[in-house]
Amino acid sequence: MQSFIQLFVSGLATGAIYALAAVGFTLIWQTSQTINFAQGEFVMLPAFFVLAAMDIFGLAFPAACFVGLAASMLVLGVLFKRGIVDFMLPHGVLPLVISTIALSLLLKESVKTFYSSQAQPFPPLTSDIDINILGAIVSVQSVFVLGAAIAAIAALHLFLGHTGVGRQMQATAQNPAVAVLLGIPTKRMIMYTFVINAGLVGLASILISPIYLAKFTNGDSLGLAAFVAAIVGGFNQVRGAIVGGLVLGVFENLSAAYLSSSYRGAFPMILLVLVILFRPQGLLGRVEERTV
Amino acid sequence: MTILNGASFCVRRAAITTIIGPNGAGKSTVFKTIFGLLRARTGQIRFDGNDITNAGPRRLLEAGICYVPQGRNIFPELSVRHNLELGAVAAKRGLDVAARIEAAMDRFPMLRRKSNNQASTLSGGEQKLLEIARGLLLDPKLVLIDEPSIGLSPLMVRETFDILQDLRARGVSVLMVEQNAKSALGISDDGIVLELGRTRMTGAAAALLNDPKVGQLFLGGASGAEPAGATP
Repeated sequence: MQSFIQLFVSGLATGAIYALAAVGFTLIWQTSQTINFAQGEFVMLPAFFVLAAMDIFGLAFPAACFVGLAASMLVLGVLFKRGIVDFMLPHGVLPLVISTIALSLLLKESVKTFYSSQAQPFPPLTSDIDINILGAIVSVQSVFVLGAAIAAIAALHLFLGHTGVGRQMQATAQNPAVAVLLGIPTKRMIMYTFVINAGLVGLASILISPIYLAKFTNGDSLGLAAFVAAIVGGFNQVRGAIVGGLVLGVFENLSAAYLSSSYRGAFPMILLVLVILFRPQGLLGRVEERTV
Repeated sequence: MTILNGASFCVRRAAITTIIGPNGAGKSTVFKTIFGLLRARTGQIRFDGNDITNAGPRRLLEAGICYVPQGRNIFPELSVRHNLELGAVAAKRGLDVAARIEAAMDRFPMLRRKSNNQASTLSGGEQKLLEIARGLLLDPKLVLIDEPSIGLSPLMVRETFDILQDLRARGVSVLMVEQNAKSALGISDDGIVLELGRTRMTGAAAALLNDPKVGQLFLGGASGAEPAGATP
């Protein structure tokens, strides 16, 4: 039982990171039909912004985190939208998908070439101690990651649901043609979702890198996890992405421990196949109406 | 592609004007052009004496024009209240939006009753009412309404037409496109016949209703002397 709680909490922590990436993934899908296959690399890169801010500019870690987040919002938010999405989206979803695949390779290889191919140690966010919850030993790190991710998603939820701008963003996602008629600046709203996505992946990067170390290949598994989490939860629902991320993290951890650790990478795929077979709209997704 | 070529007409203040014409005549294109969604290559659109040709939706809303397109135009996953509030995005600074929403809910009690429901749970007629209420939130001077009766029950159509007549009584101008030409002309002051992007006829709605040529072409021959389709 103790080990179960331990595994469950650390699974939730990993899942919360997946959820951050998956939420951003569904946000930009909803507002601009962008399926970002570079989302994993988007989680990998901000950690290197932070490291570069520390190594090159000699900033302290907390300041470097802010710089990393700001750089992430600028590069992965504004520049990504202006430089790639705006050009490719008019040509259709598929050319954009291929562009994001190219972008993922570019980001990965750039980090390898210009920074390092070695895994870089990343400063810890919390002290490396364990606490005792119901007799189970749980690391403070896991609890912190989970808490920070929940706080970020709660803040996003409040912003989207309870502010004028947030509702204008939702309106833009749900019915862009009508949003324009009401004078909603839809282009700006779409840009906001890209910046929010960049902020979420930046946070995910800072949270996960102390555990995984910062490495140029980190995006491979994270991107896949974000994609699976988004599909499992329901591609068109932010809350679906949250549930999908958490379910995936816990499922992955428990199945690796109790079933087979050598098949750790396979279990998310099994979950994905089961969901696609039995609930193709995702756990919380709604069936999308299509006009043929 | 040029859709409108020679479409020229006026909409009087505090009157209901209906555009009729066969499919593909460019009726909806007229609205989209007025509302700045499509660019006019030549020609001019004036409102209250000001040139509004190719102005964007924001400026038109501020000038007092609202556009209710055909079909379903709600935000399905937002509540009815939040849908309504989005009608005030283009409000001028200092406008008491909360009071406007209260007034809209007084006028359409259904909206108050269901204000916290998801808009997607409303019936087709209720959704149309929500759209109209949202459009009226900023007290427009001109309402562009495209096919308001489509997919609605006869009762709801009557209610929608009542709203338009009520608007006219308050001095609002209405420009409507309506498939159901006969009943639309029935409540209208003026009518415009559009064909292949060109105004063929303009005049008093009653005169168009009784014009045998219009009757044969667009009103199913009911008011004309000969059955529809008899003339080449």
